[in-house]
Amino acid sequence: MVNIIYPMGALAVICAVLALVMLFSKDALTCAMSLLGILLSTAAIYGLIGAHFVATIQLVVYAGAIMVLFIFSIMLLNLKKLGTDFTLFSPRFLIAAVSGLSLVGIGAWAILGWSPVERDQWSNDAMLAAGGNTQVLAHSLFTQHGIAFEAVSLALIIALIGAVTLAKRKFN
Amino acid sequence: MMSQAHLPQVLALFLFVVGMLIVLLRRNTIVLLMGIELMLNAANLSLVAFARASGQLDGQVMVFFVITIAAAESAVGLSILVNLYRNFGSINTDQAKTLQG
Repeated sequence: MVNIIYPMGALAVICAVLALVMLFSKDALTCAMSLLGILLSTAAIYGLIGAHFVATIQLVVYAGAIMVLFIFSIMLLNLKKLGTDFTLFSPRFLIAAVSGLSLVGIGAWAILGWSPVERDQWSNDAMLAAGGNTQVLAHSLFTQHGIAFEAVSLALIIALIGAVTLAKRKFN
Repeated sequence: MMSQAHLPQVLALFLFVVGMLIVLLRRNTIVLLMGIELMLNAANLSLVAFARASGQLDGQVMVFFVITIAAAESAVGLSILVNLYRNFGSINTDQAKTLQG
């Protein structure tokens, strides 16, 4: 078994740095590009874990469609000057930073105390024998989760109609 | 000890908290929406890693649904943003205070 923790660690460091860039950057396009980098690194982590179908969906839907929407909005609204954003070392920022850091600390402490139980119903070998990640996932999606699948497609079309209506209407 | 089951969880926690700080601190609506996407992405990462660690597939199916709903959410959010810009001439959250009373 190849040890995947080193490439995963490198991707995790990239993700963390880009997330901090997103938090502190004044430029909306820089934030969008950092988010794109995070999404691509996450897709790579999914691939390393063995979730190939989710990695592909992440690339196509998240890094493709959603990021195009964001960048198109930035272009449409011509966001060059962002005006006043948050100020460093204001009480609000300090409270948020301290509570965020303590949340990360407590959570990491809890996670590192967790010992995973290897049940491995779907180990990599079992997955390959059953036809690969995509086939197994698709079978589960259309049998066990069929109703949820249809409900999600309905929600998607309603949301798109709602988005078009919202963008067309002029409120007074 | 950090193993390959723990590392994605710690990363997901960090990304979630940074996304939450973006939503809490930033004043720019489009960056706020990106913070929401970052939090959803962190939750997805946690679900996939737990699915891997426990040898189940339900987590990955759930991620598929979450990504679909996230696409719908960002479409609605960005159309609200376009409307906000049309009405207030700015996408700063400070400008949109009609309901403040």
